[in-house]
Parts: sequence; C-alpha cells; structure tokens
Amino acid sequence: MKNKILVIEDDTAISDLICMNLTVAGYEVLAVFDGDKAEDAVLEKGPFDMALLDVMLPGKDGFELMETMKAHDIPVIYLTAKADVGSKIKGLRAGAEDYIVKPFEILELLVRVEKVLERTGKQKDVLEIGDVQIQLSKHQVTKKGKTVGLKPLEYDLLVLLAKNKNVAFSRDQLLNQVWGSDFLGETRTIDVHIGQLRKKLGLSGVIKTIPKIGYRLED
Amino acid sequence: MLAVLAILAATGIFGGTVLYQTANYNISQTISNYQGQVTSTAYVLEQEIRNNAPQGFGDETNKSFLQYTLRKHGGTDYMLFRNGKLAGNLTNYDVAGQGTMPEWTMKQAKYVIQRTDGHHILIMGKQFASSGEGIYDLVLVRDISQIYDDIQDQVWMLLLVYAGVTALAINMIFWVTKRLLRPLNELQWTATLISEGDFRRRVQVRTNDEVGKVAEVFNQMADRVERQVEELEEVSERRKQLLGSLTHELKTPMTSIIGYSDTLLHVKISKEQQKRALEYINAECKRLERLSGKMMSLVGMYDNEMIHFEEYPVQELLNRVEALERYHVAEHKMQLVMTCAVGTVPMDVDLMESLLVNLIDNAIKASGEGDTIDVLAVNNRITVRDWGKGIPPEEIPKITEAFYMVDKSRSRKVGGIGLGLALCKKIAELHYGHLEIESRLDAGTSISMVFDRMKNMDGSQEEMG
Repeated sequence: MKNKILVIEDDTAISDLICMNLTVAGYEVLAVFDGDKAEDAVLEKGPFDMALLDVMLPGKDGFELMETMKAHDIPVIYLTAKADVGSKIKGLRAGAEDYIVKPFEILELLVRVEKVLERTGKQKDVLEIGDVQIQLSKHQVTKKGKTVGLKPLEYDLLVLLAKNKNVAFSRDQLLNQVWGSDFLGETRTIDVHIGQLRKKLGLSGVIKTIPKIGYRLED
Repeated sequence: MLAVLAILAATGIFGGTVLYQTANYNISQTISNYQGQVTSTAYVLEQEIRNNAPQGFGDETNKSFLQYTLRKHGGTDYMLFRNGKLAGNLTNYDVAGQGTMPEWTMKQAKYVIQRTDGHHILIMGKQFASSGEGIYDLVLVRDISQIYDDIQDQVWMLLLVYAGVTALAINMIFWVTKRLLRPLNELQWTATLISEGDFRRRVQVRTNDEVGKVAEVFNQMADRVERQVEELEEVSERRKQLLGSLTHELKTPMTSIIGYSDTLLHVKISKEQQKRALEYINAECKRLERLSGKMMSLVGMYDNEMIHFEEYPVQELLNRVEALERYHVAEHKMQLVMTCAVGTVPMDVDLMESLLVNLIDNAIKASGEGDTIDVLAVNNRITVRDWGKGIPPEEIPKITEAFYMVDKSRSRKVGGIGLGLALCKKIAELHYGHLEIESRLDAGTSISMVFDRMKNMDGSQEEMG
C-alpha cells in the first residue's frame, strides 16, 4: 500500500517534476493545477496522506486552502518561491508541517515528505522490495516471510534506500544520514555494509552501484 | 522692538529737553522779573535818597530814613548797603561775611544763586550812587526754592509718566510680539511634524494679512509634499511588486531546470521520462532567454539616449511588420490584413515595430485557425484587432501590468511571459500616447496605439494642445 500524495502546483513543468520523482520513489500521486480543483480532489479522490501546496496559486490563495486540508486531516508542505522569513512564518503559523523553497533538489523534497509522513504517523508501516519486507514499527526484516537478522546500521541503511527508491545516494550522503555527521571513519564502511545487505537479502541486482555517484535501490 | 525702543528713547529725550528748557525759562523769567524789580526799586530809592534824604542829621537818623525808604519802596526782601556797610536789612537773613558778597555794578542787576540748607537763595544786587553821598548796594534776597521744587516735581511727574508709558509700551510690545509669534510658532511646530513624517498636517489660516498669506502658501506646499510622498510611495510599492514578480518569474523556470537535471543525474527513470525531462529543461531555458531579452528591452527604454525619433511613413511601418509576422501568421493558418489611411508620424521605428509585433503575437495566441487579424491605421491611432477568445472585463485593467497573464498555464504553454503589454504600454508613453483596450469574451479584442499629441496623422499634423 503506497502513501497517497496530492500535488497542487500550477506550473506544469514543476508539477510533472514532482510527480515523476514521487512516483518513482514509491508514492502514489495526484496532480491538480488550481485551488478549486484541489478542493474537489480532496472531497472526491481522497483520502490523501499528505499534500504539497504551492502558495502562489491563481485563484484561491494557498493559505486559504490550508483550512480545507486541516479539516480533512491532511498535513501540508508548502512550496514557495519566497525565501523571506515573513512568508515562512506565515505559512508555518497557518498550520503547515513544513515548507520547501524553490528551487529545490529532489532529495530534499523526498526527505521532507518522508519526515512529515513519519511525524504525522501516516507513513506506511511496511516497505516492500520484491520479496523483502520491512516492518518499520517492529524493526523487522523478512525475506520470503522468514526473518533476517540485520545489524542496526545495516537496518538503517536498508530503510533509507528503501524509502527513497530509485534515488542515488553518494557515499557521503549515506554516511551523513545513517551514521551521523560526526563519523570520522572511512566511506569504505558503506561499501562493506552494502555488500552485507546484498548478501543477506539477495539484493545484488536491486541495490545497484552507480558509477561516480554511489548506490541506488531500484525497483 | 528696536523701533519701539528708539521711539521711547526719543520721547524721553524730547520730554527731558522740554522740561529742561521749561525749567530754565522759568528760572530766567523769574530772574528777569526780579531784575526788573531790583532795577526799578534801585532807581526809586536813588531818587528818594537824592530828593528826600535828611541833611545834616546824624547817622541814626540817616539809618532810620534809609530803612523807612527801603520799607516803603522795597519790601521785606531787601537789604541796603551804604558804602559797603549794612544800612538796612528787611530780610530774615544775615550777611555771612562781607567778603563773600559779589561785586555789584551800577549798570545792571547782577545776581548769584546760593544754595544753603537745601534752599535756593537768589541774591541780586545793584549799585547806585546818590548825590555824592555814597555808593549804595541794593540787595534782594529771595528764597526761590519753590521754583526748584516745582521743577523737581515736574521731573518726577515726567519720570513717572515716562515709566508708565514705557511699561505700557513694553507690555504692548510683548503682547503684539506674542500675537505675531504665535502663528510663526504654529508654522514651526507644523513644519517639524511634517518633516517627521506626518504629511497630512496643515496650519490654520486665521487672518487675511501677510501672516495669513504665508499660512496659505505653507499649506499649499504641504499639499504638494504630501502628494509627492504618496506618489513616491506608490512608485516604490510598484517597483517592489515588479521585483517580486520578476523574482518569481525567474525562480519558476530555474526550479524546473535544477529539478530535472538533478533528477537525470540521480534518479532511475525510464527513457521516455528522461526525454521529457530534457525537453522541459530546454523549454525553460528558452523561456529564460525570452524573459531576459524582454527585460533588456524594458531597461533599454528607460535609457532615452537609445530612442531615436523620426518622421516615418506609417505604410512602410506596416509593411515591415507584415514581413516580420508573415510566417508566424501562416504557421497558425491565420490571415493578416493591413490597412493604412495615414501619412507620417514621428516615431522610433524599432519600438513601434516591437509594439505592433507584440500586439499581433497576442492576437495570434487568442485566435484560432482560419481567423483574421486586422491592423488598421486611421486618424491618430493604429489598431490591432482579432476575433478570438477575448479578455474578461475585470482583467482588462490588469493586463498591462508586468508579468500579468490572464490564463497563466496556457500562456506559458505557448511561450508567454506576460511582459508584452507592459512593454507596449511603455512604448506608447514614450510616443506621447496611450493604449486603448476593448474586448468581448468569445468575440474578440482590439488594442489601439493612440497618439495623443496628434489630431490625425494625415501628413498635416495639427498638434493638439
């Protein structure tokens, strides 16, 4: 079961960009291009686990739509071109969970989406990669139904890659996200852990090495 | 204040002088009187003694006679000396010492004023001789303090009056000055408030005099200042908005370009998706190019040196535009019809070309296949008319705003950035004219460049005021 996200952005190029990346990462998306359609979608095509909302919409103000979203218990991340503190405060005060300032990088978008889903408890509990299942609440990984034992860091690494399917991470990024930025060791550790994951879960064809970049879990 | 002080001083000096002169006059009059008196008394005495003096009697008899005569013709103010010795004294005074008497003459009554014990004593004397019997000195001794007292009183009076008048004058000065200063203070206070930012303040015009006029003019000036500040604030506001719009217009394509390129680098997407990503990057980059091009034009138009006016035949302008737009129109399977009924107009040819091209491009975007676009030059205007989708009435005032687009998504799809009409508006202004926009939904739109300075462009340019 995938998380369902409503994307409300009037610029077609940006809307396509977001939808494409979210879909590839493993989410289900619906795109609308103005405020009125957004309201219709919430009523007719729900339930949504989250909404990405452009503040500068034609017609209905992005801030006005907040009320609708809140009423349906849909957490909102604002998309805004305005980086000034005033706008950010206004957005957060209006009830947004987070905001992203354009232009943004894809990874940033994905991570923020993930965090909001986590915070609001909407994140799907189970991640699937082929015949591997990860139950987040229980910290349990199974392959073909049988539990597989993973070291804590291996688990974290797997979860990170699984939550961001098809997105390439550099070794540094993986190091930062999983080990924390204080780690002084070598990036070689990553390679070792990746190797372990591949072996233990038979994911050699799934966790791909991307030359000059890093690793990517593909589906 | 100085004037009043001068007047007061003059008055004082005048009064003082008058008083002094009066006093002197009084005194000299008095003395004259007494001189007259002494002279005549001396004369009478001389006669008496000459005619009636007892002969051959002793000193005592003489003395008595003299005293009697003195009393009869002189009075209690007189003393008589005979050959330097006191012969009779009807006064209350004693001679202090012989030597202190001045030398009397026969010619006229001389006098001296002696101050004793706070009194002014007039001592006047005249000599006369009588029948060889000796030299007589007739001396008048009179207390004339009264005169001096009177003078003193007058001086006090003058000083009192003077002080009173001065006090009154000073009061008046203060009062008048205060009254004069009050409006000045009000002016100052109001000016301070205005300079601190309260531009709506004004002063009250209470009188019809110079001060009143200053107040009126002051208010007019304040009006101007307030209006100016408002205008500047408006301009500043508009500029901020423009900048905000511009930033937004730049960030949007950038978001696409950065996003898609980032995706292409890191994310596994299908070949189809990759192709789409590249197409988006390409399209958005071109959009940025158009945007910067139009921005440059807008900036360029503020640099008046780049504008170059000449008398140019409108027919030729239309020909050039037709040549530029020919393929564009044909591509969309539309028709372009040009009609020119006018001669020459002073214009910057490139800018006018830009304006017409812009309007025609907009017309093309609004029209459908087979539609006609008319360009008509008549009287003092050039009109571009299309029979396309029209503009909603409430949008019409907004469409000349920079970056404003009625249908954003559709405009962007066909490459619009929303600057076209803003540019046209500026071009119109530079040609001392304005744009007129008429439109009906689903019927069509006509936009005219109106040359305000010209009644008609038929070669005989009668300029309107």
